[in-house]
Amino acid sequence: MRLLECEAKEIYARYGIPVPKGVRVKAGEKIPDLSGIGPELVVKAQVEVGGRGKAGGIVMAAPADAARVADELFRKEIRGVPVREILIEERLPIRHEHYLSILVDRSTRQPVVLFAEAGGVDIELAAKETPEAVRRVTVSPLLTDIPPFALRDLLGARVKEFGPVVNRLWKVFREKDAMLAEVNPLVTTERGVFAADAKLIVDDNALARQGIAVNRDLSPREREAESHGFSYVELDGSVGVIGNGAGLTMATLDLIQFYGGAAANFLDVGGGADQERVKHAVRLVAGRPGVKVILVNLLGGITRCDDVARGILDAGVPQTVMVRLAGTNEAEGKKILDGRGYPMYVTMDEAVKAAVEAAR
Amino acid sequence: MIYGDRRTGILVQGATGQQGSFHIQYMNAYARSVGGRGVVAGVTPGKGGQEVHGVPVYDSVRDAVAEHDIGAAVIFVPAAAAPDSIMEEAHAGIPVIVAITERIPVHDAMKAIAYARMEGATVIGPNCPGLISPGEVKMGIIPAHLASRGPVGVISRSGTLTYEVIHELTRAGIGQSTVVGIGGDPVIGQTFTDVLERFEDDPATKAAVVIGEVGGALEEEGVASTDLPVVGYIAGVSAPPEKRMGHAGAIVEGGEGDAASKIRRMEALGVPVARRVAEIPALVQELL
Repeated sequence: MRLLECEAKEIYARYGIPVPKGVRVKAGEKIPDLSGIGPELVVKAQVEVGGRGKAGGIVMAAPADAARVADELFRKEIRGVPVREILIEERLPIRHEHYLSILVDRSTRQPVVLFAEAGGVDIELAAKETPEAVRRVTVSPLLTDIPPFALRDLLGARVKEFGPVVNRLWKVFREKDAMLAEVNPLVTTERGVFAADAKLIVDDNALARQGIAVNRDLSPREREAESHGFSYVELDGSVGVIGNGAGLTMATLDLIQFYGGAAANFLDVGGGADQERVKHAVRLVAGRPGVKVILVNLLGGITRCDDVARGILDAGVPQTVMVRLAGTNEAEGKKILDGRGYPMYVTMDEAVKAAVEAAR
Repeated sequence: MIYGDRRTGILVQGATGQQGSFHIQYMNAYARSVGGRGVVAGVTPGKGGQEVHGVPVYDSVRDAVAEHDIGAAVIFVPAAAAPDSIMEEAHAGIPVIVAITERIPVHDAMKAIAYARMEGATVIGPNCPGLISPGEVKMGIIPAHLASRGPVGVISRSGTLTYEVIHELTRAGIGQSTVVGIGGDPVIGQTFTDVLERFEDDPATKAAVVIGEVGGALEEEGVASTDLPVVGYIAGVSAPPEKRMGHAGAIVEGGEGDAASKIRRMEALGVPVARRVAEIPALVQELL
């Protein structure tokens, strides 16, 4: 789950990474006295989207104007996301902007620290055009501190200036179960080094131990699905999809697209799904407006096809449920649904083709 | 048979749990059918002295390896305990560790895998179905009746999609040397590159199928690293960006790891990539 900039900065500050002075204001709250923050201010929409500055979500303002600017920002949407919180902070007298991040590198199975002399908004572009401008060093996940040699490899002559910040970000990364801890830009000023922006993404599998009760990256329906143990993603087509296993369900969605249809959702019921869970899954998918047909594609390993069939029957939804069941207790499953208006298919291709046709 | 064979004795961690005991039964039924050793010991702390389907249970891996010759371990314990199990087995000298457990926090997985490597152990998974070498050994939960023995190695980040593929291969009369589910998490012990290296050294494997999905670049890296003839398949062509598609690792981030670019890079390396699962057997047949 991605944290808001203001949340990430509060964490960074607790770990000793300097951040600009500022206040958080939620929509509907009274804007406090801003005179003590700094001679010039930055008003920043707290939305979890990239390219926020270009989309008008970051506005410079004098302290006397900042409240009005904030009010205007609350009435805007930034890349389609409503502004529910704003961070008003001092505008730093910036000398240079750098880039610093720590993320999980899948290829080496370790964290990797990235540093670039030139930071700012176009770091992704810079990394593509001149990859040598971004220095990278992998660090063993077993180390509580980044060793000095790795800091020298990363920072060259700037170890003294940035080394402490890099090590503090390392502690944030480790202790907050981060998938990504980023400071872009990391700025130098007369008063020292500051994190002018902050991006922190927490591992979804570690939210509970990080004390995060609700995954805000999920829609309400996606959250309901999660509470049943499903993986669920909303899409905008008309074929509802239920599969078991992430890969098989994704492959089903792809096949729908291949045959010219569009899936309404991704729903993986998970391993060993029983009658009750299948019933919930079918109802959840059927309850979404615009779903014309439902395709159930299950390959039973641990999952038993007869349980699945009973779950489909129990759900009793208005849409046609088209079924492809293979594997454990396949024959029993088919017998349960036979003659009750549930079209059944042997292969995935036949089932998908028929579902796409029926949704037209 | 690249991670073990009929002679490999298997330890199951979490033997007295529902999943553990269920799969001990299936793994040992398979072992009996091929004349293998199968699961020889189980471990559940505090349950030492019990038996699960005739398999003796020990309090610790250390106790189990003192009594049995063990070549591999399969982990069925919950996410909070699984990283410790990986380290316990590596420390006890078990060379191959298969972690079925899903939802392990990435930082825990990174640490456990790094520790296991220092101990010289190989970790498969986590969040994986394990492996089967038809006619030799099954370590994990892949339904054995779908597999058949033959010359094709199969490597996949998914569970049921793997079953679909081996089902299709078997129906087309193409057998498998070893089928390895490497896991759906961002950080996994064995990557496509690692398994393909083993397949290259395996006289039983003549070609491989790489079943990938959105997220990361492990598929392209693997395909680029091997001289073995390979057929590819990538799930998630229709996956929207920045959405996690079931697997923790299946996400297109910052414009990276999308299916189209993966397919393009694999095809640029001369690898045929199936657009539908049903196309895989014919493409494999051309390589044999």
